[in-house]
Amino acid sequence: MLTIRDLKKVYAQRLAVDIDHLEIKAGEVIGLVGNNGAGKTTLFRMILDLIRPDAGEVLSKDQNVAKDTQWKNYTASYLDEGFLIDYLTPEEYFKFIGSLNGFNEAHVADCLNSYTDFFNGEILGRGKYIRDFSKGNQNKVGIVAALMQEPELLILDEPFANLDPSTQIRLKSIIKKLKERRGFTGLISSHDLNHVTDVCDRIILLEKGKVIKDFHTNENSLKELESYFSA
Amino acid sequence: MISTFLNHQWKSFWRSRNKGSSIIVQIILGLFMLYLLAVAIGIGFLMPVLLEKTLPKVNLIEAFNGLILYYFMLDIAMRIQLQELPTLSIVPYLHLKIKRTTIVNFLNVRALINFFNFLPLFIFLPFVLTRIPSFYGVATVAGYVCAILSLTLFNNFLILYIKRKSINNIAYFGAILLAVFLLMGLDYYHIVSIRSLSNTLFTSIALHPYLSIILAVIAFAMFRLNSLFLSANLYTEELGSKEQKKVSTDYVFFNRFGRVGELAALELKLILRHKRSRTAFFMSILFLLYGFFFYREKLLANNEFGKMLFAAVFMTGITLVNYGQFMFAWQSAHFDGLLVNKIDHRDFIKAKYLLFTLSSTIITILSSFYVVISYKILFIHLAAYFFNIGFGATLVLYIATFNRKRLDITKSASFNWQGVGATQWILAFPLLLLPFVIYVPFGMINQPYWGLLALGIFGLTALLLRNFFIDIIVKRFEKEKYKIAEGFRE
Repeated sequence: MLTIRDLKKVYAQRLAVDIDHLEIKAGEVIGLVGNNGAGKTTLFRMILDLIRPDAGEVLSKDQNVAKDTQWKNYTASYLDEGFLIDYLTPEEYFKFIGSLNGFNEAHVADCLNSYTDFFNGEILGRGKYIRDFSKGNQNKVGIVAALMQEPELLILDEPFANLDPSTQIRLKSIIKKLKERRGFTGLISSHDLNHVTDVCDRIILLEKGKVIKDFHTNENSLKELESYFSA
Repeated sequence: MISTFLNHQWKSFWRSRNKGSSIIVQIILGLFMLYLLAVAIGIGFLMPVLLEKTLPKVNLIEAFNGLILYYFMLDIAMRIQLQELPTLSIVPYLHLKIKRTTIVNFLNVRALINFFNFLPLFIFLPFVLTRIPSFYGVATVAGYVCAILSLTLFNNFLILYIKRKSINNIAYFGAILLAVFLLMGLDYYHIVSIRSLSNTLFTSIALHPYLSIILAVIAFAMFRLNSLFLSANLYTEELGSKEQKKVSTDYVFFNRFGRVGELAALELKLILRHKRSRTAFFMSILFLLYGFFFYREKLLANNEFGKMLFAAVFMTGITLVNYGQFMFAWQSAHFDGLLVNKIDHRDFIKAKYLLFTLSSTIITILSSFYVVISYKILFIHLAAYFFNIGFGATLVLYIATFNRKRLDITKSASFNWQGVGATQWILAFPLLLLPFVIYVPFGMINQPYWGLLALGIFGLTALLLRNFFIDIIVKRFEKEKYKIAEGFRE
């Protein structure tokens, strides 16, 4: 699904991302962990062609994402509030995202219906613009906008951050169910080691832009990560 | 798709945070826009009269032809200052299922909706449509319209291209401005004549209207160049402001003032590191030229200082007006941080006094070049200076405690009404009128120098009472800080 080759990005004379080779197969859900400044978001941005790598390339289904926009047809993502059109109401925003995917209004309403629990009554029909919501609720809007597109490749940057505990648990079950129902390739970063080991099949640990660890999750994964981070 | 984008832009305009919150600001802004529009249309329709008045010896059409390129040259100078890149608006679309060319097209269309693109149409088209037909004919009118449209579009995309390539490079802009002023000067002294060049060009178009197609082709080439550049560089990181490497600085000068100096240095960094405050700051220096409109030889000869007082107070206290009007709100983004930290409120207020005093002193010294007009101006400035640092600074800081509007300081200052509220208007009146009120009695009994002295003494007295004023402001600040902080959190 994704191939990353010799990817480098330098910020202020420091390598923010430096990955020689990384292969992500279709259907894998990857958990990306690492301390602040490890390069998680920068990597996501390069995968989404939001920043230009200083060297190397990201191939999505063998196409360089910077050269061809084919990847947009099967990729959905939510990194931060910058992705939201914050002067729209959530309804307007979902409708817009839906229209990009050829969904009509009824279809969008249908999709949103299945996220009623996740929204917990705090998103729809509140008569507010997105910018007037709290960070956690803005996060919900962005995540659902990405999920709604039923993407083959889903990229979420710290989706659990700012969410209340119930919503975090609901999000985990949504991701798990989605995996069972139709399978998808996912890249999910998080600082919560519990969550990533719970929902992801494979963990990639970044440090100073480099891949330090890369393994499939099993019952020992959490311990392994905890020992790394406490060292 | 483009129409959806434009629809979003429309919503963004009407729903922007500062809209609606203060209807008065909107009305004033609207009236201001209408006024500008009326002026432009007025100029358009009165063009024949204006041209005859200003250039009585020149044939009407020739004068008009000469004006066109001259205008577009000034247009470049104005645009380089004021035209904004519509880049940020695309961030929420980049990761979505939208083709790159669509986004590029949107950026181009969006850029067309700009005040500067409508202005030339209002100014030139009335003349073209009413006067040209009687001289030449319909084909020539078409030629003129095509040429003027092309020049407008050319300038539009040229400036966008330059701005996108050079991103916020002040030296670049300065060079272009200088070049334009140089050309104006050369034109004035008849060394290189823009007007005769313009006249030649439009006389040819009048005779051979199809020649205007060449201009259209050039404009289109500029448009394509822009599109190609955009589609090759559609990364907000690269289209936004190019960041230079940031270094930590230490303003040694402020160390002598202790904790107060530290706070003042902090604020100076805030000023220099944000677009809006930086613009306000540089505008202050530009306003030094204001005096040339007010300091008339006749007024100076008759010692009619009252009529020049406004300019003097405004110039020497420009930082009070420009920066002080948004006092505290400059720090709205981290106001909570200032409150929770161990900062003595007295020091906080004193630091602002220090900044005002320093900046007014520097500006007053700079303004002494008016001595070439008359030495009397120095006296006026000195009196105005004492008024400003004594009373003006106190007034600004006191009124600042009423201001609860968050200010977004990352945007440019020109035509930016974000954060403008009632406080700004309350501030202007006493600050600019009081000097006049103090002076007038002396002016009426024909003792102008006594008037200046009175103003100066008033200022000095206020300066000596500064500690007393600081107590009052601190007390008020401590009472109001919760409301201020609440407003800033909006």
